[in-house]
Amino acid sequence: MIAILAVVAVTAGTLGLGTWTVRFARTTSDLFVASRAVSPWWNAAAISGEYLSAASFLGIAGLVMKDGAVALWLPVGFTAGYLTLLLFVAAPLRRYGSYTISDFAEARLGSPRMRLLAAAIVLGITGFYLVPQLKGAGITLEQVTGAPYWLGVVVVGGIVSLNVALGGMRGITYVQAFQFWLKTFAIALPACVLLIYLGGLPNHNTLFGDGVPRAPAEGLSVTLDQPQQVVFPARSSYRAGGGVHQARKGERVTLPAGEVRLPPDAAVPVADGADTGRGVKWSRPVGSGGSDGPLFVYSLLIATVLGTMGLPHILVRFYTSPDGSTARRTTVRVLGLLWLFYLFPVVYAMLGRALAPALYVTGQTDSVVLRVPELAWPGEPGQLLSALVAAGAFAAFLSTASGLLVSISGTISYDLWSRVRRPRGTLDRRRRFRASAAVGMVLPVVLALGARGLDIGVLVGWAFAIAASTFCPMFLLGVWWRGLTAPGAAAGMTVGALLATGAIFAGLAIDAGGTLGSLLTQPAVISVPLAFATMIGVSLATREGRPDADAQLLALHAPEGLGLAQLERATVPAAEPDGPLPATRT
Amino acid sequence: MRDDGRTRRRTPRDELAEATAHGEVYLRRLVRAQLALSISALVAFIGLLGALPLLLFLVPHLASISVAGIPLPLVLVAVPLFPLFVAIGWTYQRRADALDEAFRDLVGGP
Repeated sequence: MIAILAVVAVTAGTLGLGTWTVRFARTTSDLFVASRAVSPWWNAAAISGEYLSAASFLGIAGLVMKDGAVALWLPVGFTAGYLTLLLFVAAPLRRYGSYTISDFAEARLGSPRMRLLAAAIVLGITGFYLVPQLKGAGITLEQVTGAPYWLGVVVVGGIVSLNVALGGMRGITYVQAFQFWLKTFAIALPACVLLIYLGGLPNHNTLFGDGVPRAPAEGLSVTLDQPQQVVFPARSSYRAGGGVHQARKGERVTLPAGEVRLPPDAAVPVADGADTGRGVKWSRPVGSGGSDGPLFVYSLLIATVLGTMGLPHILVRFYTSPDGSTARRTTVRVLGLLWLFYLFPVVYAMLGRALAPALYVTGQTDSVVLRVPELAWPGEPGQLLSALVAAGAFAAFLSTASGLLVSISGTISYDLWSRVRRPRGTLDRRRRFRASAAVGMVLPVVLALGARGLDIGVLVGWAFAIAASTFCPMFLLGVWWRGLTAPGAAAGMTVGALLATGAIFAGLAIDAGGTLGSLLTQPAVISVPLAFATMIGVSLATREGRPDADAQLLALHAPEGLGLAQLERATVPAAEPDGPLPATRT
Repeated sequence: MRDDGRTRRRTPRDELAEATAHGEVYLRRLVRAQLALSISALVAFIGLLGALPLLLFLVPHLASISVAGIPLPLVLVAVPLFPLFVAIGWTYQRRADALDEAFRDLVGGP
């Protein structure tokens, strides 16, 4: 009950604050100046607020609980991505002054067709990223209200869509900054309180020793919504469907829907896909091969370290920095803020392994963050803490999903629709943006309904893999290399996109294990180098068509304040009410 | 575009503005210096981050050492990398701003 209130309060508060600030900013008519006066700390909090999604809030803890410490490379990569962004693109992109990835692609390479290709890839990445947000919303509402999963997905999809269409919470720095602190507080406070209450991590043997997750002393009762295939790690009896059954060690059993009871201290059966093993194996960040071997770890790191710079909803935020140097300082602060946040998900994963073994039976480890408080501290304190966590999780979906949908709607209405038929005036543009906000949500909602069984962290990992294989080479070469041509960039991005998505879908279709399986689920280690090679090779082969690179590099790299004609930055317009920003390069 | 050098001395800024041969040299020098800085920071960062998985893979018995009850490999992934990123980022930011500043002095802004 408290949790429902907390979730409603966060939702209403966020949407209300967003809408209200937009009104406020418009009446003072100077949103733009205000946003340029934003200090690096505020802007860093806003970037982190938009970045920390369901994947960070729920997904990391869920994946660590399920796959073990190998998933800890995920937050490392999520943070390290900002370091590469800082080193290679933050200041130049701010100086260049194009607002979106599609703008940059068209302006830098002097080719309107590049805009279309970039727009298509933006839709792919944001779509992949939006699905896990909706899944997170679905399982959180299920947890909090008991409503069915699909209802949560549809309701939150609708709310976000309406919110974006009405213009709430868009590019509003202070709202996003507030969201960051709300999320950090909501994940940090319960973690600290629970650790103090429990006097440290419980059950070391299960976490780091020889133990496997076991039923508590009073036995374990799990309610399954649907039949669930599980594997028993040790011989055990269980009661299900009105009878008592025996399972051998390693036996694969399909448990019927309904209540399943395990005797006290029985090793819990684990749902298909989870591979928990003993504590020593679980707590190993790099395993001996296959899905937790070094190849998989490196591929994951490449995807996250290089993919961050290709996330459309994050890049837009850098333009609220007044100049290139501030963009750099902002990014350094983002590194610090993410460090703070990522201290905590692992705590929930460890508490979950020790205290919430039922999640291994149902396979729903993604909801561990929501479940742990009440299990660790039964009664009202636990309920209060879990209400706080649920509110933070909701803040995470709302902010990230809104940012993503703004990118999607802008891309559909501005980059694609306008090319088919030019809009008749501002009103028409605004109408188109609203229609795109509604249409753009349909496919992700449908996909999220079918993605119940996929882990949030894995889905987001794919979005990073695609971004790293497409936009990362385009930015790195476009910013630093004179020789990049439009055909080269187009070929490299196409190769990267096809390889990455092809591998991911192949991995879903066939159940390959070992090295091949780990490459299919995380293809970046192959797709990124090939995308780079194609881009460089084709650019060299099409050297005659090279755009005038000197003027481009001047705009990218010359510091502000020189007063040179070429360096006059286009005035950056305020986030327009109708969303998509025109190419601002002059 | 001809200038006899008597009436008015051409500053690097004019040359840059007119993208003459000299201007190009100045800009190339800045871009090269910035790129060299970024790459050296990247090498430090990739060297440290990239070595860790290999180290943990090759020396599995690090797991038998524990720090405050937690196995060392877990601690190595969860704790030291983040402050390291901040430190590299902070150092880089100061140096990159200094390069920009030097360029501004050379070209002579308003």
